[in-house]
Amino acid sequence: MTPLLSVEALTVRFGRFAVVEALAFGVAPGEVLAIVGESGSGKSMTALALMRLVPPPGVITGRVVFEGTELLSLPERKLRAIRGGAMAMVFQEPMTSLNPVFTVGRQIAEALAWHRGLSGAAARAEAVRLLGLVEIPNAAQRVSEYPHQLSGGMRQRVMIAMALACGPRLLIADEPTTALDATVQAQILDLLRRLRAELGLAVILITHDLGVVADFADRVAVMYAARIVETGPTEALFRAPLHPYTEGLLASLPRMQGPIGRLAAIPGQVPPPFALPPGCRFAPRCAHAKAPCALAVPALAQPAVARRWPERAAACIRHDDYAVAG
Amino acid sequence: MSGALLSVRGLVKHFRPRARLFGAAGRPVRAVDGVDLDVPAGGTLGLVGESGCGKSTTGRLVLRLIEADQGSIRFEGEELRAAAPERLRALRRRMQIVFQDPFSSLDPRMTVAEILTEPFVVHGIGDRAERARRVRRLLDAVGLAAHHAERHPHEFSGGQRQRIGLARALALDPSLIVADEPVSALDVSIQAQILNLMKDLQATHGLAFLFISHNLAVVRHMADRVAVMYLGRVVEEAPREALFAAPLHPYTRALLSAVPDPGGERRERIVLTGEIPRPDDPPSGCRFRTRCPLADAACATADPPLADRGGGHRVACHKVP
Repeated sequence: MTPLLSVEALTVRFGRFAVVEALAFGVAPGEVLAIVGESGSGKSMTALALMRLVPPPGVITGRVVFEGTELLSLPERKLRAIRGGAMAMVFQEPMTSLNPVFTVGRQIAEALAWHRGLSGAAARAEAVRLLGLVEIPNAAQRVSEYPHQLSGGMRQRVMIAMALACGPRLLIADEPTTALDATVQAQILDLLRRLRAELGLAVILITHDLGVVADFADRVAVMYAARIVETGPTEALFRAPLHPYTEGLLASLPRMQGPIGRLAAIPGQVPPPFALPPGCRFAPRCAHAKAPCALAVPALAQPAVARRWPERAAACIRHDDYAVAG
Repeated sequence: MSGALLSVRGLVKHFRPRARLFGAAGRPVRAVDGVDLDVPAGGTLGLVGESGCGKSTTGRLVLRLIEADQGSIRFEGEELRAAAPERLRALRRRMQIVFQDPFSSLDPRMTVAEILTEPFVVHGIGDRAERARRVRRLLDAVGLAAHHAERHPHEFSGGQRQRIGLARALALDPSLIVADEPVSALDVSIQAQILNLMKDLQATHGLAFLFISHNLAVVRHMADRVAVMYLGRVVEEAPREALFAAPLHPYTRALLSAVPDPGGERRERIVLTGEIPRPDDPPSGCRFRTRCPLADAACATADPPLADRGGGHRVACHKVP
C-alpha cells in the first residue's frame, strides 16, 4: 500500500544538539502507529516536526511526504491548508489548547470557517454534528458551553471533534489520554478506535504508556535519546522485543497479572542531548553492552534473527552475534 | 484490627466553600465521607481511586496535615486527634510523607545536606558531627553518593529527587510513611528503581506504607491489602490477590478492566457510562449507582455499608451476594 505519510532522515536540531535524529518511518492509510519513549526521547518533538511546529531556534531537516506532498519545503500558506485539515493534531492537556473565553461551538466553527468556508447556522449545525460524533451527550446544548464547564474527558472529546472538523486522513495524538483517569481513558480510546474504523483515520499516537500502545496501536516505534531503536508490529514487539531497551522497559513495568517479583529496573538514566555517549546511546545502561557498542551508532536494521518477521527492525549489534551463532 | 499501626475509623472531611458576597454559600465538598482503614506495622495498604475520590485528602488527614471533621485516627495506640501540639510533634517523628512531585516539595535554595539535616535540627537531635554522619547514612540508604550532599535539588533528575524525598522521610526513623503518588511523575525505568528502593527500605527499616496511587499496576506491585475509593468512600477493601483476581464491587471491576496490560491477556472491558458525580452533590443511596451497570431502585434509597464477605474481603454494594 502507498503510505499516507512517509518520513525520511527527519532530524531536529537545537544549535549543535539533535533532539530528533535520522528518523525514518511510514504510516499507511487507516493505520495506528505508536511512537513510544520516556521523557527526553524526542517523541513529542517528532510530532511537532511532522507539522513543522518546532519552536525556534529549532531546525528541521529531512523529508516528510504526506499524500505525495513534501511538507518541509512547502510554503507556509499551503502548509496551513494541510495542518488542521487533512492532518490534524490532539494534545495532552485540552484545557490549555482550548481558548477559555470562547464557547466550544465557536472554536469548532472557527476551524470550519477556515478550512471549509462554513459560517453561521451551517457551522453551528456542523459543530453539533461533530460533538455528537465524539459521543458528547446533549450536543446541541453543550455547543454553547465554555471549556471550564466541561470535565477533562469531555474537553478531550471537544479537541477530537475540532481535529475531525475538516475530515483529516491523519490524526497526530500527543499523549491524548495521559491527563485522564483510567475509566475515562478507556472511553477515549474506545472513541478513537470507533472513529478510526468509521472514518478510515490513520493515527500517530505519541505516548509513554506501554499499556495504551498495546491496547490501540498496530505498529510501534520505540525512541531512545532522539533515535528510533526498535520498530515492529505491536504484538510481536511486546511478545519478543529485539532491542535491549525495549526489553528493559517491558521488564521494568509492574503488571496487572502474574507473579510479583523484584522489578528489573534499567540502571542509570536517559542521557541529555548534550552529553550523549559515543556509539550506541543505550550502551552505558545496557546489560549486553560490549566494547564494539561504543564505536558507532548502530543502524536500524532487520536483524538476522528476525528474518521471519520482515516488518521488524532494531538498532543493536547484539543481533549479529545471533546470526553467527546460527 | 487491634494490631494495626494506624487505625482509622469513620474519618470525615467536608470542605466548605467560603461564603460569597452575593447568593447562598455553596454546598460543602464531601471529600472524605466515612472512611475506615488499617495499616499493619511493616505492611503496605494501597489506596486507589480516580481523581477527586478523596485518597490524597485521606493521606493528609491521617497525618493531621489537615484537620478531620469527625472520626478517630489511632497511631501506635494513641488517638492522634486528641493529641496536644507537643505530643503531636513527637508522634510526627514516627509518621512521614512523600509527595508526588519531588520538584515542588524540596526547597530549591537548600543543599541536600541542609534538607536532610533540618529534621535533626528541628527535633534537636545530635551535634554537628553526629548529624553529618546521619546524613551520610541516609544518602547511602537511598542510593545517593556522599558528594551529592553539597548539591541543590535542581541539579538532580526526577528519580534522584524522589530519593532525596525518601531520605528526608527516613531521617527520624519513622514507622509509617504516607506515600502520595510517589512514582507518578517518573518515567517507567526510573519508576521501577524507586519502587524497588521503597521495598528495600521497607524490609531494612521495618516501615509501613499507606501507598496512595491512581496506578493499579503499581499498587498491585507494592500493597499487601488494597482499598478502593469512590467519591469519598471506600467501596471495596481486600487482600491484594483477592482484589485483583476476583474483584467484587462493580466499580472495582470496571476500573480493573479499564487498565490495558501490555502483553497480558485482554480483559473483557466494562465501560462505565457518564462521569464521576460532583462531590458536593453525591447521589442518594449508593454513590456509584448513577454509573453502575447493576443498579436498581433499591440502590437509590439505602447507602450500602462496607461489609465483610469472608477472607477479609469487604465490599459496599447491595448487588454483590
